[in-house]
Amino acid sequence: MAILEGRNLRKTYRLSKRNTVEALKGVEVSIDKGEMVAIMGPSGSGKSTLMHILGLLHAPDPNHGPAPELRLAGEDVAALSDNARTKIRARRMGFVFQDFNLVPTLTAIENVMLACDYAGIGGKQARQAALEALGLVGLADRADHKPSELSGGEQQRVAIARALVNKPEIILADEPTGNLDSERSAEVLALFRQFNREHGQTIVLVTHDSEVGEACDRIIRMRDGRIRDYGQRVEVPAMAAALVPVLA
Amino acid sequence: MRLVRDLARRKLRSTLTITGIAIGIMALVVFGSMANKMNALINGGSKYYADKDIVSIGSMFSGSFQPLSLSDVDKIQKVDGVAAASPSIDMMLDDTTTATMGTPEMISGFVPGGDKGLETFPMTAATGRLLTASDSGNITVLGSDLARKLNAKVGETIKLRDVNFTVIGILAPTLTAPDKDAQVTLVAAQQLFVKTLPPLIQSKVNASDIATSITVYPKAGVDPETLKANLKAALGSSYTVMDGKDFDALLGSISTIFSLVLTGVAMLSLLVGGLSTINTMAMSVAERTREIGIKRAIGASRWRIRREVVLESAAIGLIAGLIGLAIGAAMTTLFNDLGRASGNVLFELTLGTALTAVAFATGLGAVAGFIPAWHASRLDPVTALRYE
Repeated sequence: MAILEGRNLRKTYRLSKRNTVEALKGVEVSIDKGEMVAIMGPSGSGKSTLMHILGLLHAPDPNHGPAPELRLAGEDVAALSDNARTKIRARRMGFVFQDFNLVPTLTAIENVMLACDYAGIGGKQARQAALEALGLVGLADRADHKPSELSGGEQQRVAIARALVNKPEIILADEPTGNLDSERSAEVLALFRQFNREHGQTIVLVTHDSEVGEACDRIIRMRDGRIRDYGQRVEVPAMAAALVPVLA
Repeated sequence: MRLVRDLARRKLRSTLTITGIAIGIMALVVFGSMANKMNALINGGSKYYADKDIVSIGSMFSGSFQPLSLSDVDKIQKVDGVAAASPSIDMMLDDTTTATMGTPEMISGFVPGGDKGLETFPMTAATGRLLTASDSGNITVLGSDLARKLNAKVGETIKLRDVNFTVIGILAPTLTAPDKDAQVTLVAAQQLFVKTLPPLIQSKVNASDIATSITVYPKAGVDPETLKANLKAALGSSYTVMDGKDFDALLGSISTIFSLVLTGVAMLSLLVGGLSTINTMAMSVAERTREIGIKRAIGASRWRIRREVVLESAAIGLIAGLIGLAIGAAMTTLFNDLGRASGNVLFELTLGTALTAVAFATGLGAVAGFIPAWHASRLDPVTALRYE
């Protein structure tokens, strides 16, 4: 079943009065529940723009031609207000970015609790959930460290804990391994894979790195604002395949 | 706590902004305390003069007055609407008294009980007793400020215009004119007063017949203004008759000037403090563009971002307000202690003034935060995330 479905997705950025960039030129895409998908393509291919639209960070352009469609678990989210999109991001989505993007003045656990706060969970319950999430990424003992006291790999794991803490339906990650060495990249990927298998979370990764792409169930390839290849869902190991429907 | 950590991130800028507002608030506290004291003085006077008329020759306030005769008292008592007329002598404590803030130190001679119980201005003795109708001789009741200045206690002897007087009582503070008065009997005051007149006049007057003013109390139901007209008609144009409204008109303008100065100070601190807070918060928002982007991306609503910036800005105002209040309070206390020796207590810091100053600073901070907060909340999360 598709958790995210888009049709006629277009996005044009206006850089100045005369200079506009057509980042997405009408894209049709569908992502199944429980899938771990990589979106790949060269710089300027529109992969980040697609992720921003799928993650409700931006709304698709209201086209002159066929109207854009975007469904999240069957619900039309193409033309929601900023407030409504923010609420969905807070409660139903998790975000991981290339530059970790933690709040520098807050400790690891406070960074994770921020996501709880925005989702309307507070107090002890938030603290408990945040500790649990940090435990899942193996950083329970670093909960009271500031980002500056953590390594890059650790910071990215805190960011993943923040993305996971509300048990969102979808996690969107923009170049999550872009600033990490291959060993840390492997750790981060293993974490994503673990959550995908154990909790059936849908994961959409934007990446340059073909090794990261290979680790996913499917690779969507983009070029010049269009999808060139939707990819084939590869055979997942039997054990995991058996687990996905049980836990999903 | 997070808020304080965010402020501490840019120590220098926060400190400068806080200092700017604190100075404004300090000025507000000092001027406000001064205005409180002035208003207490003026209100006290206004209350005192509200229900009576004062008769004199010439103007009491220009210093060109001539003594009245006690026969004038009899004349006045026959005027329609008069309940009581009480002669008094008011004179400077000494000729060297220079212009001071507030009221001058005075010797006030009157007939105890001359008001026939009609005086409503409350005056009580803090120690000792008040003057009574049976008193005679050189005895005095001192106002609280004057007693403090002279360091006089009940039973001690002090000099008023080089004449010895025994202190029989000290008044409880009234916060207005009587605090700086030495009250004596009319007879004693007449003796002191006659000596201050030029020799030519001195030889012509009978010391036991003079008064500088006559306080006239209207009968129940008679308006002091109506009585004023009656008195003027009966006494003729060489006499001056003042009622409470004349007094208010005379001193109301002083009160207005003070209010204007206070408003000016408030406006100035509003402008300087407000602009500097807007600047600080705008810089802080610009510095944190990326952080705002993260927060927006992971689900902070625009309202949340606005609240965050406004609260931080209000915290700057609150801290500055408290610091300004502390410095202002220290300054007024210091000035009052320094002035107490000379009887010049110029400041009165009330709870109302203190709360207003802090609330004003906090409100100023919050309002100054609105513009940067609005800007921050309108940032596009994706663009903000890419901001370097």
